[in-house]
Amino acid sequence: MKKTSMPKTRSKAAEIVPAAPDAAHYVLQLYIAGTSSRCIRAIANIRTICEQYLDGRYDLEVVDISQHPALAEEEQIIAAPTLVKKLPLPVRRFIGDLSATERILIGLDLRELADKAAHAAGGGLL
Amino acid sequence: MTVKPRARAAIVQENDGLRVRLEEAEEMLRAIRGGEVDALVVQGTSGPRIYMLQGQDAETNRIRGEMLANVSDAVIAVDGADCVTYLNAAAERLYGFAASEALGLVVTALRETRWHHPGDEAAARTALWEHGEWRGENIHVTRDGRELNVESGVTVLRALDGQTNGMLAVIRDVTERKLHEHNVVVSEIRYRRLFETAHDGVIVIDPYTRKIVDANPFMTRLLGFSRDELVGRELFEIGLPEDEAESQAIVRDLKQFNQIRYDNLPLRSREGRRQDVEVVANLYEASGQPVIQCNIRDISERKRAEEQVQLLLAEVNHRAKNLLAVVQAVAHQTAKYGDPVTFSARLSDRIDALAAGQDLLVRNLWQGVDVADLVEAQLAHFKELFGTRILIDGPRALLTTAAAQGIGMALHELTTNATKYGALSNGDGQVRIAWQTSATAKPMFSMSWLEDGGPKVAAPTRNGFGKIVIGRMAEAAVDGVVEVVFAETGLAWTLSAPAENALARSEAGVSTSFNHDAR
Repeated sequence: MKKTSMPKTRSKAAEIVPAAPDAAHYVLQLYIAGTSSRCIRAIANIRTICEQYLDGRYDLEVVDISQHPALAEEEQIIAAPTLVKKLPLPVRRFIGDLSATERILIGLDLRELADKAAHAAGGGLL
Repeated sequence: MTVKPRARAAIVQENDGLRVRLEEAEEMLRAIRGGEVDALVVQGTSGPRIYMLQGQDAETNRIRGEMLANVSDAVIAVDGADCVTYLNAAAERLYGFAASEALGLVVTALRETRWHHPGDEAAARTALWEHGEWRGENIHVTRDGRELNVESGVTVLRALDGQTNGMLAVIRDVTERKLHEHNVVVSEIRYRRLFETAHDGVIVIDPYTRKIVDANPFMTRLLGFSRDELVGRELFEIGLPEDEAESQAIVRDLKQFNQIRYDNLPLRSREGRRQDVEVVANLYEASGQPVIQCNIRDISERKRAEEQVQLLLAEVNHRAKNLLAVVQAVAHQTAKYGDPVTFSARLSDRIDALAAGQDLLVRNLWQGVDVADLVEAQLAHFKELFGTRILIDGPRALLTTAAAQGIGMALHELTTNATKYGALSNGDGQVRIAWQTSATAKPMFSMSWLEDGGPKVAAPTRNGFGKIVIGRMAEAAVDGVVEVVFAETGLAWTLSAPAENALARSEAGVSTSFNHDAR
């Protein structure tokens, strides 16, 4: 099984109550099929988002379903690439190469953090 | 209906969950439609299967599809029921069917198949059955009646479980190539026949090795070598030329000038027979390779004809000189012995006599004069007396030129004498002219002029030129003997000479019975 974990910290139990986006630990799984350029782009895009908005509080697994279709079945994956946000709840799925950053940030509840960062960056221009 | 607060919260939460899942489903559909996914996971009876939509496999498949669509060969796939499941653009063009029209049709609706030989079809089916593929040629007849010579490669298609589920054919239209091949074969046969039946010797030489690579039958007859004996030899080894250095020089010159011609080369056959030949050699390219072709014409006959013409010219010259000498002597003797008053008339008559003999010689191409013809020519003025008062009898015999001149002049003089004083001077006299060749070991030719019934004959008192003509001149012409008797009953002239002196070579010794009266 091709399974990449980064970083190694990973929550063992799902929390019932959603934590604040700037404090919660994120558990993400990216399901890909083979090593197409789209899959590579999806990995790069989610890694950029994680490093930019979830620094030190995320756990990312990359799973290649072309080698092990049974893993896709377990997670009810019906297309690749698919990003699954396992934690914080609720579970969310994102299809495609994850290049629509704005939509992904909203889906991951990271919109607020993004706005703060934008404001900070914008202040620098004043 | 009243809903408890707890239940309401659960329902709201459940609705939110459903809404999220609906959004996810919509997003997935959008992503699939937008081509943003590489693969789909489909549940099968034996578990989930991954279908690649994008990625390397899909890219490879796409490229393969593009290749099939764009190759110049026609590609057709059929399913297990022989129904068309795929055809590329080349197949559409070849059979005149659009893919939309052809898909699903039984493939025989596109074209009928004919085979070049009985048994070909069975062999093809066996190959497909046993080896899963067949390659070969046959004829496809299209819906609009075109007959296409095609070269096909057909492969049995199998599913992952090994079950046959159709066939794939790659078909190449080779009609033009076949036509070209046919034309080449026809041309090859035509030129091979020219080569084989030519009445010139033809040899083909490799300019690099200088060795003969082919020779036609006429060449083998010309040289007395079989084709196998000629092939592999160099020109000098067949005596064309006899010197090796010269043979090499011929090839060297050909490489420089591309053509060489020799009007007259001596060629010796295997048995040593000498033949004069004319050689024309050309260097040219055949299928990208230089070859030398030598045409060798036997000019022996032509050479012989040319030599004969030269010989004849020399002979004519010689004879003309001889004739002038004879004319000169006749003129001289006529002037010496005759009456000056009648000189002109006598000379003219004698030259006419010479001319009559000359005419016969020319008519016979200087090959001799028939004695009977000569007699008739000299006695032409008395033609009406032939068979009555002038009796001519003798076999067919050709006199030599000199004999014809001498005897002709003698006959003229004898005729003139008989007309004036002898058997032809009255109304009753007869002249018997006869000749024969004895069938002895050394054949002798003899001829006689016997007069009878004319006025009483008295021997001449003086020797005129006429007597010289019938005597010494006639003897000299045949190296023979003349006897003249002036009997009272009539003049008797006889000539006797070896046949080889008097008669042309082919006639000497021949004694075919000939009677003028019987002609």
